[in-house]
Amino acid sequence: MATIIIDGQSIDCTDNVTVLQAALEAGWDVPHYCYHPGLSVVASCRLCLMELKLPHPKTKEMGWAPRLFPSCQTPVKDGLEVRFDSEKITENRRHCMEYYLLNHPLDCPVCDQAGECYLQDYSRKFGDSSSRMVEVKNKNPKKDIGSKTLLYQDRCVMCSRCVRFCDEVAGTSELCIVDRGSKSEIDIFPGIPLENELQGNVVDICPVGSLLDKDFLMDQRVWSLKRAKSVCPGCSAGCTIHVDHNAGQVWRLKPRFNPGVNDWWMCDEGRFGWKHVHDPKRLNRLMVRRGAETESPDWSVLPELARFRFERAASDAGTDKIGALLSPFMSCEEAWLLVRFIRGVAPESVLAMGPVPTDGEDRTFPKGSNGSTPKFTIRAEKCPNRRGIEMVLKGAGGRVISFDAFVKLAADGALAAAWIAGGYPNDWVTKPLGSAAVKVGDLFAQDMFENAVTEAAAVVVPSCSWAERSGCFVNHQGRVQPFESAIAPLDGCQRDGQFLYALAEETGLYDAAGVRAKMAATMPAFGELHVAPEEPRFAH
Amino acid sequence: MLDWIKSVLSDQFGFGIVLMAVLLVAILTAVAYSILLERKVSAWIQDRFGPNRVGPYGLLQPVADGLKMLLKEDIIPRNVDRALFILAPWMIFVVAMVGFAVIPWGGQFRWPWMDEGEILQAQVASIDIGLLYILAVSSLGVYGVVLGGWASNNKYSFYGGMRAAAQMLSYEVPMGMVILTVILATGHVRLESMVVAQTGTFFGLHGFDWMFWYHPIGALLLFISALAEANRTPFDLAECEQELVGGYHTEYSAMKMGLFFLAEYAHMITSSALIVALFFGGYLLPGWSWLNTSESALAMFCRVGVFGFKILFVIFVYMWIRWTIPRFRYDQLMRIAWKGFVPISMALVVLQGIVVYAEWPQWVTILGNVAVVLVVAAAMPRGRPVTGRQASLERKVQVSGG
Amino acid sequence: MDSDQVEQRPARDWKATDVICVDQPELTTAERLYLPQVFGGLATTFRHMFKKRVREQTVVQYPEQKREMRKEIYRGVHRLNRDEQGRVACVACFMCETACPAHCIHIEGALSPWEDREKYPIKFDIDELRCIYCGMCEEACPVDAIELTPEYHLVGSTRDEMIYDREKLLMVYDRTKEDKPRKGPAVTGY
Ligand code: SF4
Ligand code: SF4
Ligand code: SF4
Ligand code: FES
Repeated sequence: MATIIIDGQSIDCTDNVTVLQAALEAGWDVPHYCYHPGLSVVASCRLCLMELKLPHPKTKEMGWAPRLFPSCQTPVKDGLEVRFDSEKITENRRHCMEYYLLNHPLDCPVCDQAGECYLQDYSRKFGDSSSRMVEVKNKNPKKDIGSKTLLYQDRCVMCSRCVRFCDEVAGTSELCIVDRGSKSEIDIFPGIPLENELQGNVVDICPVGSLLDKDFLMDQRVWSLKRAKSVCPGCSAGCTIHVDHNAGQVWRLKPRFNPGVNDWWMCDEGRFGWKHVHDPKRLNRLMVRRGAETESPDWSVLPELARFRFERAASDAGTDKIGALLSPFMSCEEAWLLVRFIRGVAPESVLAMGPVPTDGEDRTFPKGSNGSTPKFTIRAEKCPNRRGIEMVLKGAGGRVISFDAFVKLAADGALAAAWIAGGYPNDWVTKPLGSAAVKVGDLFAQDMFENAVTEAAAVVVPSCSWAERSGCFVNHQGRVQPFESAIAPLDGCQRDGQFLYALAEETGLYDAAGVRAKMAATMPAFGELHVAPEEPRFAH
Repeated sequence: MLDWIKSVLSDQFGFGIVLMAVLLVAILTAVAYSILLERKVSAWIQDRFGPNRVGPYGLLQPVADGLKMLLKEDIIPRNVDRALFILAPWMIFVVAMVGFAVIPWGGQFRWPWMDEGEILQAQVASIDIGLLYILAVSSLGVYGVVLGGWASNNKYSFYGGMRAAAQMLSYEVPMGMVILTVILATGHVRLESMVVAQTGTFFGLHGFDWMFWYHPIGALLLFISALAEANRTPFDLAECEQELVGGYHTEYSAMKMGLFFLAEYAHMITSSALIVALFFGGYLLPGWSWLNTSESALAMFCRVGVFGFKILFVIFVYMWIRWTIPRFRYDQLMRIAWKGFVPISMALVVLQGIVVYAEWPQWVTILGNVAVVLVVAAAMPRGRPVTGRQASLERKVQVSGG
Repeated sequence: MDSDQVEQRPARDWKATDVICVDQPELTTAERLYLPQVFGGLATTFRHMFKKRVREQTVVQYPEQKREMRKEIYRGVHRLNRDEQGRVACVACFMCETACPAHCIHIEGALSPWEDREKYPIKFDIDELRCIYCGMCEEACPVDAIELTPEYHLVGSTRDEMIYDREKLLMVYDRTKEDKPRKGPAVTGY
């Protein structure tokens, strides 16, 4: 614990932080470009400078030192007195901003960063309204530096965040600074493009519009985007993210600060892994097959229909001939509602969880370092909620079997009625499951895309992507993380939570928090959510 | 066949039925054309041309409008009270039309083929209480408006309906009083007898002994009350576009809307006919005693024409007023009714009552009317004008130190 | 942080004679009786009914006669200007879409195929039925690419027809550029 004085106000802060961190945390809007909490300190942008009270070298009297100190590099010390509100500091910021804009093209109208650009923000807050530059501006070409990233060199402020990211977090060091002084540029080594799996993050940490995402390039202006707090469904790491959407469409994903899970980062696979949300091949109507005919009744008939069919199967064949296959892409609430429905109809029914997709080994970053505490890990388990489903199954008790046993049961024709939930972004149905599905008496398939199971099903219930749903996922660490729905469900679809809510004989609108509260009664783990702290926007 | 037609026409009942059919067509046409007239008058007053594209001088405009009304999509909003919603326009329309039954269009006459002594009334139903019938029927019209507003399930429409109800009820009172005055003066409740009672000579003109001369204020009150009854500007608060988005007919479209429209104009025609019959000598043409008293069919047709012209003129005045005077505020409207018209009309009843009781000559009421005007002018509340602003301003400037 | 930088204006030097208050005149008896005034009004409107000449002079018989608009300021149909090389001048900055209070502009931007330009619109739709012709879009445009023209005869028989796309808007420019040349655009390097 240390107490420092900023602008005459005393602030309590933990040891081992810098003055800049302490000030930002206490709510001071101190401009900074090169400082990033997840990267090393270089103190090169000179925006965060402060005045410091030091003893006079001769008289030993405390007074404001004539020189300015970078606050991002000065650790706090008990009794330290600094100030940001002096004339000197204001002038320093003003001059710094003028230098930054000397060669800057100021093409905000066509720059994708406009609206979330710290050059714009700081110019407005700390800079001048006009430039005194009369010479012709230096022009720098834009560079195609990687498969997903573009570099607009003339917009760059040389904060070197991207270089440090590649060095320290990705561990691949593709970026470097070439030349010196006013000629310095960010660049790649010849023939070695920026190809690491975290390259999307350099776009996020670039405080200006210099590094841009090719996927989002010129699509939308950021001020028209709305954000939903979500969790990435790409792997079991459970990175918290923002889903940026507008006009019913997802446009990009951005990581959301979450210490201990993904910090400030996310991987490219997750970042660009939302394309299935707008896949035109998605199922978008409820289908009931009667012999060779299919019809698409209104959603309101589904609860009745499902209840009738399952009850009929239970009374005809016995309640142990009913089964449900949960998917690790479901939210815990949805899984629990489905279990409640199935077990309500047939207490002896079997439950299982669908296949858990994996991809090689966990990949840790920085790459090449076998450090015991990696800065970022991409999990091999490519689904968001295996642990959550396992918790729900454990809570349900009774006959819970493995996926293979479920397939075998189905193949033996021992299932008179079953509900198979999918929701995987790719074709997940294994061959044995596909052939076993045909043998199930009355099959309800809940899925996003057509596959062998939906083809065999008597009733196909279209499922929504995670961006349209809400609920919680449990990540590999066992953290229960809620996510909210970003966009309205696809035309013709209903949110999974909604129809499962009706199946479980609840009335009204599905409300994830309410369901969670009910789940917590038997499974206390769901009573405690892990909610990432919010960072103020000025502490970027 | 011809004989049969003749016999039907010679019978008062048969004639009434035929007249009813003729009237229905004639009135609907008249209504359609009075809408055109309204648009023309409004245009002229505002230095415009008005409808002039359909047919010569826009004369076919009503046809086009009617077709449009019929062919438009008829929307019944989901949350309305369906039965009442459909009933309301019919209610108001029918009520506006049945008033025509007792209007004495042309007095007594006989067809050329009829015997001396037989006589017909040029009227659908010649009933003893014709005037009361009109009063009773026309106040039913408020149901249509209130039901329309209520059934629309829309708060603006509802306000419109409520306003209309309150307004119609308020103006019914002075209207009744004025009519009572005329009943006292003529001694009849039967409309045709009231017209006949005005056949006397005035200023040497036969058939010019109109009630108007004796009760000008009564005529004015009746006219203004009729404006309010028919929901016409300046008293059309029930259908304010500004505050009520159209009022009680906001939710109506196509022919239902059209019916409200037709009813408004039909109402205008009835009330004009009533005013003309009560105060302006009905079908009497001043100074032509043959026309006024002859029982030949020709004279009857002429009288109908005269009546028509008088009605047309009153309708024109309606329109003229509509495009001249802005709408009243609702509190003003109520104040005029209860604090102005009701006492004045009561004074008129008392005045006429005294004249009848004391058996004074009728012209005494003219003096009485003058007296009423003087009393009203004297009793008119003097608004306290706002003065002394300049003085207060100067003080403020001094305090703030300039 | 802005507010404290706003300079305090010096107090205005008011003189008592700067403001003249007009007292409400007292009504005469005729005015208080209201009806004489009504008759006065009726007389006025009646006079107007017969002013045929005024009518003929002031009314514009639209399809046959057309009114001359002040082309610098009249806000009619939009146009998308072309730059000196005949390409669409818009840089797809979405400023107009953002400024539009009626949300009637829909743009899709893309990397431009030209060396000297960064971004251009591949789709530019204005729903002329939704537009309220406020001119905010013209105001917002940093390169003066969108402008409102004095054209006001805007007709179409379907709603789709009234959604003007990029080509149609450029056509409006071609049609009106003689009459109202493009404003000198700001010198920018977008
Ligand atoms: S980097 Fe920022 S200041 Fe520069 S053009 Fe882009 S938005 Fe504008
Ligand atoms: S004129 Fe106004 S409403 Fe019309 S497009 Fe421009 S900004 Fe939008
Ligand atoms: S403001 Fe101008 S440049 Fe920007 S998108 Fe609109 S028309 Fe194009
Ligand atoms: S010098 Fe401190 S943040 Fe850049």
